[in-house]
Amino acid sequence: MDSVYYFILVPMVYVAFFIFIAGNILQIVKVIQRKRFAPPLKIYPEQKPSFLWAIYDAFLFPMVRRSNPILWFFLIGFHVCVFLLFLGHLELIGDFSVLQIIGHEIFIGRGFVGLGILIALLFFLFRRFASPVRQFSVPEDYLILMLLLLTAIFGSQMDWARTWYGYGELTVYEYRPYILSLISLSPDIGPVMDVGHSFMLVLHVFFANLLLMFFPFSKLVHSIFAVPLNMIRRGK
Amino acid sequence: MDPKLHQEMLKAISDKLTGVMQMYLDTCSRCGICASACHVYASVPEFENTPVYRAESIRKIYKKYFKLQGKLLPMIGEAVDIDDNTADMLKKTAYSCTGCRRCMVYCPFGIDTQQIMSIAKLLLIKAESEPEILSMLADVSISKGDSLDSVKENFLKGLKKIEADVVEKWKLEAGKVAIPTEVENADILYVALAGAHSIVPAAAIFNAAGENWTLSFFEAVNFGAFVGDPSKTKLILDRIINEAIRLKVKEVCICECGTAYRVMAQLSGDKPFKVSSITQVHARYIREGRIKLKPLPADVSVTYHDPCQIARNGGVIDEPRYIIGQIAKDYREMSPDPKTNWCCGGGGGLVALGDETIDFRMKSSKVKADQVKKSRAKILITACENCHTQLDNLNEHYKLGVEVKFLSSMVADALIK
Ligand code: SF4
Ligand code: SF4
Repeated sequence: MDSVYYFILVPMVYVAFFIFIAGNILQIVKVIQRKRFAPPLKIYPEQKPSFLWAIYDAFLFPMVRRSNPILWFFLIGFHVCVFLLFLGHLELIGDFSVLQIIGHEIFIGRGFVGLGILIALLFFLFRRFASPVRQFSVPEDYLILMLLLLTAIFGSQMDWARTWYGYGELTVYEYRPYILSLISLSPDIGPVMDVGHSFMLVLHVFFANLLLMFFPFSKLVHSIFAVPLNMIRRGK
Repeated sequence: MDPKLHQEMLKAISDKLTGVMQMYLDTCSRCGICASACHVYASVPEFENTPVYRAESIRKIYKKYFKLQGKLLPMIGEAVDIDDNTADMLKKTAYSCTGCRRCMVYCPFGIDTQQIMSIAKLLLIKAESEPEILSMLADVSISKGDSLDSVKENFLKGLKKIEADVVEKWKLEAGKVAIPTEVENADILYVALAGAHSIVPAAAIFNAAGENWTLSFFEAVNFGAFVGDPSKTKLILDRIINEAIRLKVKEVCICECGTAYRVMAQLSGDKPFKVSSITQVHARYIREGRIKLKPLPADVSVTYHDPCQIARNGGVIDEPRYIIGQIAKDYREMSPDPKTNWCCGGGGGLVALGDETIDFRMKSSKVKADQVKKSRAKILITACENCHTQLDNLNEHYKLGVEVKFLSSMVADALIK
């Protein structure tokens, strides 16, 4: 069992990050290397400065709000939660005073961010069961939702255990040395292994690894291409 | 499937695979927001009518041959092979899309389904499954460019017959030609459509404005663009560009044809002349005081249908409203804004296919008919030949009780000294 834990928590993490970074760079390089489409693809009327409008479109999707406010609410909620979770994970590496502008106990969100993300993911999942979305969904759509759900459930569970039902054995102070050991390329899973809740971490990391490895080859690249595509639509 | 054809089809996709296209194909999250943005789905809510379903027909092929995911794990993205059924499937998706790009306005990533459908159309051409009539019409246009001298005489004869109609709309000074052709160094080369309705009002207005203009021998419409054949599109376009260069004109003015305007303005690269739509030119004449218009009686209500290729995709939005403001007192804006105006349902070659598509065109444009009805206007104005035909058909089919008119003929009829 220990070797399985070790595999997931160390080599698989390295491989996942490598594939994630290299894969995304490869996708970007491919887009740049392909021939250019010279004619304009913009939509009128123009609004200046188009760059700022493109950023506005990419991050706030105003037309989604106009056509489907409920979906917009969940989409915005989901993406805000993802961003907060990213910040939360940074806090696992070290203390950042900027993140403590609004003082809080690490990890940011007290478990509510994870809960929010789970609700949004369930909404996205159930939405896929309804026509017409069901008919044009492909297994990839469900796979990504499931990976996100599983990653989020086990990740949140660690936080909920600590903040909601006082399970204090596995805390930031165990995660931090483990993550720092990975970053400094001298992996040590000791700090997170001697405590009862470690299988949660292992499952969380396992699904997150899968997600990272699949990312560059899936529709998740929308996070990279959303801004350039919106710039093209705005005529930049 | 014939391996050579298979190879050719793959090459066609690869030719179309620009950086932007890759992003369009990789990015879609199948959120379905575009569904209700498409007039076809909004009118007939079946999943096959959604933009994303259409795009998926190409995306699944792309995954299979150009994407690691499709090569290693084809079932995850439902990647599909190109086979004998491909053409049938693509025909349905490509020729149910008018290329209006309304879905692109709503998509959070701005994915251009018209561009993706351009791959489908090209694949159909390779498989010799495109609507034959469109290819034939494109070939006729091209051959006209190759043998201009033989058609010139007939063309000039035809013009002679309609000169009196032009003069009836606007009296000329003695010695002036009503429809000039082959004028070197003209300020404007006007590219019309075949048919007097596209020439007579425009000529009267040019003459009224005292324009130094000349009529092109070629018709503006580009069937190559409708059928999605890049090389034919270019050959048809080049006839006009070469004529403009030969005559050393300063500006090429495209008649009321949305696709022709967009192709000339956006797809033809750098040119030694300016490109305008006739609506822009008319707005300019009014602003500069070169023509004066008599307003309609105050109780005549009008509305304007924005042709997608001219407005949302071409940027000519304020000019028609400015012109109409000079003619009509009771103008009723049709949709909340021109950017989200419903397509008439006739673009992408569908109107050119005539009766073959009429059933689909009527069903798929119910939302447009409703929009027109809601405006309660008496006159429905537009500035595109295709839209005009389609709106006429809709008027009849849905008993809208409007009069469908070209903007240019409204201007010509309102001319005063
Ligand atoms: S709105 Fe855009 S991302 Fe969503 S399904 Fe349609 S094309 Fe894909
Ligand atoms: S371009 Fe127009 S017709 Fe084609 S899918 Fe988009 S909204 Fe529908």
